[in-house]
Amino acid sequence: MRIEKHPILDFGRKKKVSFSYDGNPLEAFEGETIGSALHAAGIKELSHSLRFKRPRGFFCGIGKCSSCAMRVNGVPNVRTCIVNATEGMVVERQDGMGELPDAEFGDARYEILETGIAVVGGGPAGISAAIEAARQGAKVALIDENTMLGGQLIKQTHRFFGSKEHSAGIRGIKIAGEMFGELRAFEAKGLVQILSGATATGYYKDKRRRKEHLLGISKGNDFYELNADRVIIATGANENMLQFPNNDLPGVYGAGGVQTLMNVYGIRPGNRVLMVGAGNVGVIVSYQLLQAGIDVAAVVEAAPRIGAYHVHAAKLRRFGVPILTGHTVKKANGKGHVTGATLVKLDDNWKQVEGTETEVGCDTICLAVGLTPSCELLFQCGAKMKYYSEACGYVPLHDDEMMTTIPGVYVAGDASGIEEASTAIMEGRIAGLAAAKGLAEGRGGAIDNRIASIKEQLAMLREGPFGFHAACGKGKILNDMQSERGCASNDSCDPVPEFTHSRPQTYLFADSTQSKALRTRTAHEQKFAYPADRNTGGRA
Amino acid sequence: MAVGCKNIMDYERDGILRESDISGAMPSAARFEKGPVAVIECVQNIPCNPCVHACPFGAITVGRITDTPRLDCGKCTGCGKCVACCPGLAIFIVNKVYSADEATVSMPYEFIPVPQKGDVWAGIDRSGKAVCNARVVRVVSGEMQDGTSVITIAIPKGLAMEVRNIKRKEAD
Amino acid sequence: MSREGCGDGDRVIICRCEDVSRDEVIEAIEQGYDTIEELKRYLRIGMGTCQGRTCQRLVTQILREKTGRNIEEIGTTVTRPPANAVSLGALAAGGPTEEGGDEYATP
Repeated sequence: MRIEKHPILDFGRKKKVSFSYDGNPLEAFEGETIGSALHAAGIKELSHSLRFKRPRGFFCGIGKCSSCAMRVNGVPNVRTCIVNATEGMVVERQDGMGELPDAEFGDARYEILETGIAVVGGGPAGISAAIEAARQGAKVALIDENTMLGGQLIKQTHRFFGSKEHSAGIRGIKIAGEMFGELRAFEAKGLVQILSGATATGYYKDKRRRKEHLLGISKGNDFYELNADRVIIATGANENMLQFPNNDLPGVYGAGGVQTLMNVYGIRPGNRVLMVGAGNVGVIVSYQLLQAGIDVAAVVEAAPRIGAYHVHAAKLRRFGVPILTGHTVKKANGKGHVTGATLVKLDDNWKQVEGTETEVGCDTICLAVGLTPSCELLFQCGAKMKYYSEACGYVPLHDDEMMTTIPGVYVAGDASGIEEASTAIMEGRIAGLAAAKGLAEGRGGAIDNRIASIKEQLAMLREGPFGFHAACGKGKILNDMQSERGCASNDSCDPVPEFTHSRPQTYLFADSTQSKALRTRTAHEQKFAYPADRNTGGRA
Repeated sequence: MAVGCKNIMDYERDGILRESDISGAMPSAARFEKGPVAVIECVQNIPCNPCVHACPFGAITVGRITDTPRLDCGKCTGCGKCVACCPGLAIFIVNKVYSADEATVSMPYEFIPVPQKGDVWAGIDRSGKAVCNARVVRVVSGEMQDGTSVITIAIPKGLAMEVRNIKRKEAD
Repeated sequence: MSREGCGDGDRVIICRCEDVSRDEVIEAIEQGYDTIEELKRYLRIGMGTCQGRTCQRLVTQILREKTGRNIEEIGTTVTRPPANAVSLGALAAGGPTEEGGDEYATP
């Protein structure tokens, strides 16, 4: 299942580590996640679901969806797509919700950290923000939940569009490499602190006001309290899911997951893939699959036209891959894992046309049906959020320097509206520079000039019919932000409702261990009767 | 051409360019008579211009970044520098006067194995169909190409504007 | 009859974490649980390990389809910390030792 030779990538595999899966010895290469190492060994079924006992595999592959949860060293609900396999690790398939391990947490640490700017998310936007802020002399902490920085940029093997100043014509992976170099240089100077494999789980206000903003960061069993003068949220996006029967079968993967497997770890996601979605992501990932020597059965697109740039679609067509516009997946077929799909034609009103079903044989169904901004921390901090179809979801209102309605909280990249890596880089730079104002020593004028020039480049990237949509959305967001600010200044609006809670430690509903004891219902929940069959909670 | 308009072009439905889609940007018949020249199959207004910087003769211009590229056929020497630089892999060098009965097409290729000079592979059209034999006459690959080789193939003259890909024959 | 434990039926799964199917969401809406917050509490949709990252969009789609309300009217559920699963160990790690260490609030 491993890709040995690749036209663009060299996977540079090094040391092997041994771990066990359900008692059987397996090997992984150092730096590989548990999920990918299992996939390389042909193991796609990672758990059985809570209630229906359906087989489950991973879906998003980037730490967002939790579909890959397994029991690791006795601890249940570990996201195996973002935790590396290590020597001697004991991995077990998880049935249902998992039980609380009989473990001691004596080695768990609780630490208080302080920084100038906390950047959440180490993708193209977050890294760019960190670099720009550090260049101005600000102290930055960069938090990313993956073990490898770079977000989705480290999976982009294609050459980027744009102008020469935007690294056009250069492969995404190379752009990422250059950014890492710069970032590491600032790390060496002590200006950037990198926390990888760490998740920002909550935004809080510290009443002692050590600093203006406080983030709760969880890393394994450790918990950090990160106090910062400014926060930049660059948390990217979640992969969209589609509704069709058996949409949870192992082998139904998000495009990000497929790219992670094949372009980061060099593992074949399958032997024959049905791609759903003919936007740039779907078509580019299809081409990458072909490059990795994997058969692409077809690309299915519900819309009547291909959404991707024609040039990307043309690359696929000349390799004989059909692109079926006006079609969708009616059903995934297979027991235990995907063995095929039923496709169906759609009419002008997007309704399925009976009698037009066709069967396609495939072992993987890759969903590239769009992304939704990942804005949990922004919701939490009380930033004014609004739905914009152009942004593909709820995003925070923000000004042209990426600041949200909460002073000192900035947003950049897909979390501010779904776009491209190149625009995410520009937005990250602007947010980093804007956040550094006032924190860095007396270079305000220079910062403003640099922001102005990046804004111009950003506007250029949003020109033309393909950028039109994003440009419209950004225009609306800016307008709404301006009215919001006008409204805030005359004090006529309702203030953001204030919750008070005690320590972050008390939020146990969503705890990864989900022990039965922790699932006692709150009074509020009890107002809503559960259906009778919920009481078994999925465990006999 | 615009994304927002109601009429859907055939290529937007199936991903295959028709001759009429590219006729506007095509070098003249007279230019083709003079030897190799770039054929740029880039018809949408996407923000992209690396081809401009790739050309050592200044033959390609892109006004605003979302304009489609324009080729000055008088300046283009058919050198092929632009072929591997185009992120859309949409530039081909066509030489319709390679020999009495053969034309050559140079194309970007990002797959393994890379063909060797002298190999005979299948010539593939824009829809993925094998339409002829393609004899490999030149291969530019290696470090400098960063994964995008430029392969020049000799094919029957009449197919110079059809063949846009190659495929290793099954029997090999 | 319990609908659990029957494995491989052709279900459309809306919430993976809490294992809730499309039919169940529709049934709940028909019973009158027709807001996103009610569905969350009634079906636990969005209360699992992913905290609604995969399902919230799908539930919104079904609510649109069944109630005719638009996305703004449907709204979102309240997002509370933690945004992701947190290990119990991290929670057990104890807090700051200085005085006044218990004073935290979400805005």
